Amino acid sequence: MIKAQEIYKSFKGGAVQVLKGVSLEIADGDFAVILGASGSGKSTLMSVLSGLERPDSGTVVCGSQDITAMTDKQLTAFRRDKVGFIFQQYYLLSHLSVENNVKLGADLAGNKNYCEIIEQVGLKEKLKNKPAELSGGEQQRVCIARALAKKPEILFLDEPTGALDEKTGREVLDYISRLKRECGFTMIMVTHNENIAQMANTVIRMNSGEITEVYTNKTPKTAYEIGW
Amino acid sequence: MVVSFKDSLKLIGILVVSFCAVFVCTFFLNFYLDAVKIENLITEQTRALYDAQLATAKFTCAISGGFLAAIAVVMLVFYIKLYIDSHLKQIGILKAMGYSNGKIASRFWVFGFSVFLGTVLGFAAGFAAMPLIYKSLTIDGLPHIEIGFHIVLPIVLIALPTVVFSAISCGYAYFALSRPVSSMLRGELRLKPEKSKKTKADNKKRPFLVEMGFKTLGGKKSLAFFVAFACFCYSAMVQMGCSMEDLSTETMGIMILVIGVVLAIVSLFMALTSLIKANVKNIAIMRAFGYSMKECALSVLLCYVPFALIGFAMGTVYQFGLLSVMVNVVYKDVASVPDYGFNVPVFFITLASFIILYVAAMLFYTYKMSKISVKEVMAEN
Ligand SMILES: Nc1ncnc2c1ncn2[C@@H]1O[C@H](COP(=O)(O)OP(=O)(O)OP(=O)(O)O)[C@@H](O)[C@H]1O
Ligand SMILES: [Mg+2]
Repeated sequence: MIKAQEIYKSFKGGAVQVLKGVSLEIADGDFAVILGASGSGKSTLMSVLSGLERPDSGTVVCGSQDITAMTDKQLTAFRRDKVGFIFQQYYLLSHLSVENNVKLGADLAGNKNYCEIIEQVGLKEKLKNKPAELSGGEQQRVCIARALAKKPEILFLDEPTGALDEKTGREVLDYISRLKRECGFTMIMVTHNENIAQMANTVIRMNSGEITEVYTNKTPKTAYEIGW
Repeated sequence: MVVSFKDSLKLIGILVVSFCAVFVCTFFLNFYLDAVKIENLITEQTRALYDAQLATAKFTCAISGGFLAAIAVVMLVFYIKLYIDSHLKQIGILKAMGYSNGKIASRFWVFGFSVFLGTVLGFAAGFAAMPLIYKSLTIDGLPHIEIGFHIVLPIVLIALPTVVFSAISCGYAYFALSRPVSSMLRGELRLKPEKSKKTKADNKKRPFLVEMGFKTLGGKKSLAFFVAFACFCYSAMVQMGCSMEDLSTETMGIMILVIGVVLAIVSLFMALTSLIKANVKNIAIMRAFGYSMKECALSVLLCYVPFALIGFAMGTVYQFGLLSVMVNVVYKDVASVPDYGFNVPVFFITLASFIILYVAAMLFYTYKMSKISVKEVMAEN
């Protein structure tokens, strides 16, 4: 379970207040979507929850560990053991092949079967290609493979379909949610897209740094049932 | 606006190298030109000494000037490549909007400005140091040599390098820009597709960190050159500076020592800074995934250690060879010059200080990397 309490976060020495007392709870194995307009603080919240960034005040407890009280070393170990990331901008290593990019994640978990994952995301033919030689959707699938090869307990996704067209976007979402069902990790996705929120179990709505609404979907839709 | 003066000023490495080159060349050439004027005063007894003096001036000038100029060219081309690589998308957009390669490339002349600044400062410093140098170069028995001003020197040492380096900047930029717009917009770094080696079946077994190290090295071969060069400078100039005390005067020894240490630190700094800059995103993503600081630092820095050692070894050989040539060939007819042999204590002192310096640099850059905020790197784009 991830439990955040009264998270405050500002930038530029307090001049820019981004998170203004955010509290939330996400159960193990949940599929939660953080929904909000651009600039509402979703990415900032995600980086606080995942231990990329420290809040000014407030606590984030993950399982039994308070990650806000950890040293940098402990935080690194926490991310190494628990967390996977998929970013909107991909952030693939441009000088490494698809295979080696996936290995970045796989090695951390001692995962020798990462080739299976590459096959599952349909990139077996592109093993030796560099990211710049792939389409946007293919690059995003490399990111997925990289994050999943790490066998995370919690997967964070920041607008994973933001740069994709409808067809590829649906494929990617479908693929991620299938894997989630199979592997059972907790999934926290950031998006500004109301339709995608219909796929989640829990929807957390944000507005200018505060949580305005939390609700659960009784019957989450699949990637092909939602509007786009 | 593609390139600004501020970008040009970031080429501290080139500034320092051209400063050193012109500094050394200014007083040696000036000395040479002044010494030639007094040739008619030379007697039979002092002829050998006089010839050796002139030869030293020419020799040192050619070696240090030529060597440093070559380094400056490599640094410049390397820096421009780095600049274009890191501004690939912006330049791609300019090209897409219809700016021609020539138009964009012509803006790169400002990189020649750093050479101008370096050479002007070097020339001024060379003149300022001239009385001291003349005193240390004058040997008993030779007539006194007056300091004169030769108009040809600023032309050859300031104007010419500035023009040549500006031209090289534009020319190389033009060459580097001649590729499809679409590949630039997509951020494809390579000019030519890499020929994949088929016999790399064992590739699979290499862990990610090792692979990362090798590929980083492979993509940044020029950096390996700079690391090697930095260590070469350090090793050659420090050992030479220490041995010079016996062979020549203390002033010369200290001067060479200082130039060597400055050059070494600047080029090591340049190489490692650009290495980190080019890898900021990669390190950030590795940090996000939970690689430790040490793992990130070692994966990008460790592969350069062999080059550092090669540079050091070459520097040792180079300075030994150079001093041997000076003593045994150039000064062979001059009785007052002592014998020269390899200076073992100096070698070990230099090696020890070198290792300390190198480890300190690695620690410093590991610290710098730990300051990379993962979220901030992720946010920009
Ligand atoms: N490092 C920073 N320094 C200053 N301001 C920042 C920083 N990071 C974020 N902000 C500001 O905080 C606010 C929220 O940023 P955040 O990236 O969390 O928004 P978001 O909800 O993810 O938006 P989007 O949907 O556009 O990605 C923005 O107004 C942004 O300008
Ligand atoms: Mg965002």
